[in-house]
Amino acid sequence: MLDNSLTQDGTDTALDYHALNAMLNLYDEDGNIRFDADRMAARQYFLQHVNQNTVFFHSLDEKLGYLVDEGYYEAEVLDQYSKNFQREIWAAAYARKFRFPTFLGAFKYYTSYTLKTRDGQRYLERYEDRVCMVSLALARGDEAQAMAYMEEIIGGRFQPATPTFLNAGKKSRGELISCFLLRVEDNMESIGRAINSSLQLSKRGGGVALMLTNIREHGAPIKGIENQSSGVIPVMKLLEDSFSYANQLGARQGAGAVYLNAHHPDILRFLDTKRENADEKIRIKTLSLGVVIPDVTFDLAKRNEEMYLFSPHDVEKVYGVPFSDISVTEKYDEMVDDKRIRKSKINAREFFQTLAEIQFESGYPYIMFEDTVNAANPIDGRITMSNLCSEILQVNEASEYNDDLSFSHLGTDISCNLGSLNIARTMDGPDFGATVETAIRALTAVSEMSAIDSVPSIRRGNDEAHAVGLGQMNLHGFLAREHIHYGSPEGVDFTGVYFAAAAYHAIRASNALAREKGQSFVGFEKSAYADGSFFDKYTTRDWLPETDEAKALFERFEITLPSREDWTALKEAVMKDGLYNRNLQAVPPTGSISYINNSTSSIHPIVSRIEIRKEGKIGRVYYPAPFMDNENLDYYRDAYDIGPEALIDTYAAATEHVDQGLSLTLFFPAEATTRDINRAQIYAWKKGIKTIYYVRLRQTALEGTEVQGCVSCTL
Amino acid sequence: MKDNVETRAIPRAINWNRLQDDKDLEVWNRLTVNFWLPEKVPLSNDVQSWATLRPEEQQLTIRVFTGLTLLDTIQNSVGAPALLPDAQTPHEEAVLTNIAFMEAVHARSYSSVFSTLCQTKEVDEAFRWSEENPHLQEKARLILDKYDAGGDPNKRKIASVFLESFLFYSGFYLPMYWSSRAKLTNTADLIRLIIRDEAIHGYYIGYKFQRATERLPEAERAALKEFAFSLMFELYDIEARYTEELYDSLGLTEDVKAFLHYNANKALQNLGYEALFPDSACEVNPAILAALSPDSENHDFFSGSGSSYVIGKAVATEDEDWDF
Repeated sequence: MLDNSLTQDGTDTALDYHALNAMLNLYDEDGNIRFDADRMAARQYFLQHVNQNTVFFHSLDEKLGYLVDEGYYEAEVLDQYSKNFQREIWAAAYARKFRFPTFLGAFKYYTSYTLKTRDGQRYLERYEDRVCMVSLALARGDEAQAMAYMEEIIGGRFQPATPTFLNAGKKSRGELISCFLLRVEDNMESIGRAINSSLQLSKRGGGVALMLTNIREHGAPIKGIENQSSGVIPVMKLLEDSFSYANQLGARQGAGAVYLNAHHPDILRFLDTKRENADEKIRIKTLSLGVVIPDVTFDLAKRNEEMYLFSPHDVEKVYGVPFSDISVTEKYDEMVDDKRIRKSKINAREFFQTLAEIQFESGYPYIMFEDTVNAANPIDGRITMSNLCSEILQVNEASEYNDDLSFSHLGTDISCNLGSLNIARTMDGPDFGATVETAIRALTAVSEMSAIDSVPSIRRGNDEAHAVGLGQMNLHGFLAREHIHYGSPEGVDFTGVYFAAAAYHAIRASNALAREKGQSFVGFEKSAYADGSFFDKYTTRDWLPETDEAKALFERFEITLPSREDWTALKEAVMKDGLYNRNLQAVPPTGSISYINNSTSSIHPIVSRIEIRKEGKIGRVYYPAPFMDNENLDYYRDAYDIGPEALIDTYAAATEHVDQGLSLTLFFPAEATTRDINRAQIYAWKKGIKTIYYVRLRQTALEGTEVQGCVSCTL
Repeated sequence: MKDNVETRAIPRAINWNRLQDDKDLEVWNRLTVNFWLPEKVPLSNDVQSWATLRPEEQQLTIRVFTGLTLLDTIQNSVGAPALLPDAQTPHEEAVLTNIAFMEAVHARSYSSVFSTLCQTKEVDEAFRWSEENPHLQEKARLILDKYDAGGDPNKRKIASVFLESFLFYSGFYLPMYWSSRAKLTNTADLIRLIIRDEAIHGYYIGYKFQRATERLPEAERAALKEFAFSLMFELYDIEARYTEELYDSLGLTEDVKAFLHYNANKALQNLGYEALFPDSACEVNPAILAALSPDSENHDFFSGSGSSYVIGKAVATEDEDWDF
């Protein structure tokens, strides 16, 4: 049964699949990692559990008929295709003989993705079924396209993000979109709508981030009466409760993040909500925090000066636009000198130190380097926030409200559809450019199929922008397989060239879409794509491998890399026909999908040779790094061992070619100090990194207290 | 400190820059960075999972936790304070007070679990059960006897190590088991934080025992060892019966016993003694053993807080760090 109760399967077999899987984390007598135990766990999982609990059908027709009649599958999806084609695509998918190489991959898929009977007791889909339904749903009746999607997904090259892969084709389902970003303005109508929107979006699945920078601070006047406002903390409390309420409705776990500018007067209170000893009234447990840091903060810290914090309410009155919509770096001196803006000050270096202290205690906050992000933004407008995973960076526009809470001006908010390429499989695969193009088309389909009417500003943003985020994963797995060290000069060289080529094909695909549809995203003509300036860096120099190892790699896999001439031709095509998608790339952290896809997460180094994965739904499970065996362990140095600089160098090489952001987690041993974290942040900012996601710590067991023979405990 | 009692020496301020034993500072540092409060763990995320346990499984879980609460209460109010007068250095006293406080935090944590997941009536019943359960009472009594003020300081340490490194584990087994089955994973995080602390407590007290006894005459050492092993036998006997009573109905007794053997050996090892149980008797279910380590766990932030965060060492940045 799906419910692994004690008596049912805990006792009657000597070693069940959980125990076999856990053996991965314990060395055998000869000090070798027991990869075979995990393969046995995957096998036993099917024998002991999956096969016995899967509903059997005699034929595909019977199965699809049943699933449609019983309201499990959306009839509209299948009706777009002939019965013959349905049989054809299913036969082709099953012919690929897909097998999960790890226990976690299989366990995660069956626990969280596959279609189950309504009582949750029996499985109705195998992996191939899910892949076909996703492909058919996204292709919207186009047989060739459906086949192309299916081949890319089952081949492990393209993996749609969880909401798409989980939901597409199902009758009762959540949204296909991964995440949402909402602005909050300095008035009660906007705050109320933000809470309502958070509830609505959480109910449908997907993470929500909100920008609180514009909300007036604690003690600010309301209607001219001093000391009336309670600042951002109570709003955060309301949001936290909203997300956990939406979670209780049983959909995907509700999750939210809030962003605040470093120069907001509530910044220290904001950070203190994550303190270990924070009072219950202000402690924030499940809401994620992000801080937006402009360049001027770094300059002030460099000079070891005080940094001024500005009242958003006054800034808005003086400049006539919300606080988030001005550049603090640009206006800093002007605002310091302006008597009309009330301000307070804190020491800039102490601010950074506090930031690092909180990161030690909680992993939060995320950081967005505001000026780096906006300098690299090819789109007209300002980027003021990021999202729950700090990889979405798009422009937005404030909404205004009437007294009856309706919109007097409908602004735009942000949504993003994500999916990632498996770098190893894409390099292996038959056609690099085609894989990227197919992925962009699949993500575009998600955008076109989505219309979030409950949050009109999201709907408008999506309709106008068709923004997508193509990510990448399995960088470390690929490099290790090819005997290249992560973070080495060859590794960094490969990363930069790979991402430049991916950018080229993504833009090429979006340009083709614009031509086919005769339409570009709204605001294209004001973008750096339209005047061609975006392409300068590609037409004035080469982005080809410089090290022999990277060169050899691209030659061995027969990848044709775009030349300056190719880029010049693309530039002309874009200037002529435009781009359909306002945003194209974003590299998410890829948790669940990288396990299913047998990848290392994102472009991060591995966290451990045997990763201990813990999640609400699956408990604690052990995951071996892809392609690792007892012979090539040297290439699997973990993130704590590799250190922040090699990681940042790798990310910097990729960031160069990604129009949005990349989730970058920093890893430190628990013996590190706040200064080590600060130095890594400064280094990241210097290298042009756009955002920093979590700070993760690893504490090694005190000598004499460790668990004996444990793989993940030994360095 | 102890040797000065008769002469009433001048009270001395503790100087952490003059250490008699470096281990005191090492352990102090580790304990302080490991400081935590139960409020940091989002236990309420386990509410749904709790509802999937069958009534007898819920009852077992509550009982196991009341048993643990009792042990932590003893260690907080009697155990750690009883060791204080025996401290060999002022720094050891400081470490012991920290241990005592964290034991109070642990005892408090179980109540957080109760208040989040259970109803008052069930909890009250379980507390009554813990007061009436003969095995639980017997082992508490046995340890408390050894803590008695008139006793031998070294015997107190032995009893304390057995409590920290051995007696807790029949209870810790269950949340680890649940978490390996994807149940009560946040509760398991909290228990793992407790295990992280108890491992250090047992190790440190055992270490102090070894330092205190290394210069004793051979005969006294032999007598202590004799005492330790016979106490272990006695405790094991009670523990085995306690385990049977709790886990028989779920068919887990044999597995829990293997876990007890493993931890009994660990406790003896902390005291510097050889193992009691052969390896073949300590074959703990790998899922449980692997679940013990909090290190490098890659948790999903959106459903839990993990058990690897610590209070960091704050060091100000210097001009050279801001060189750009």
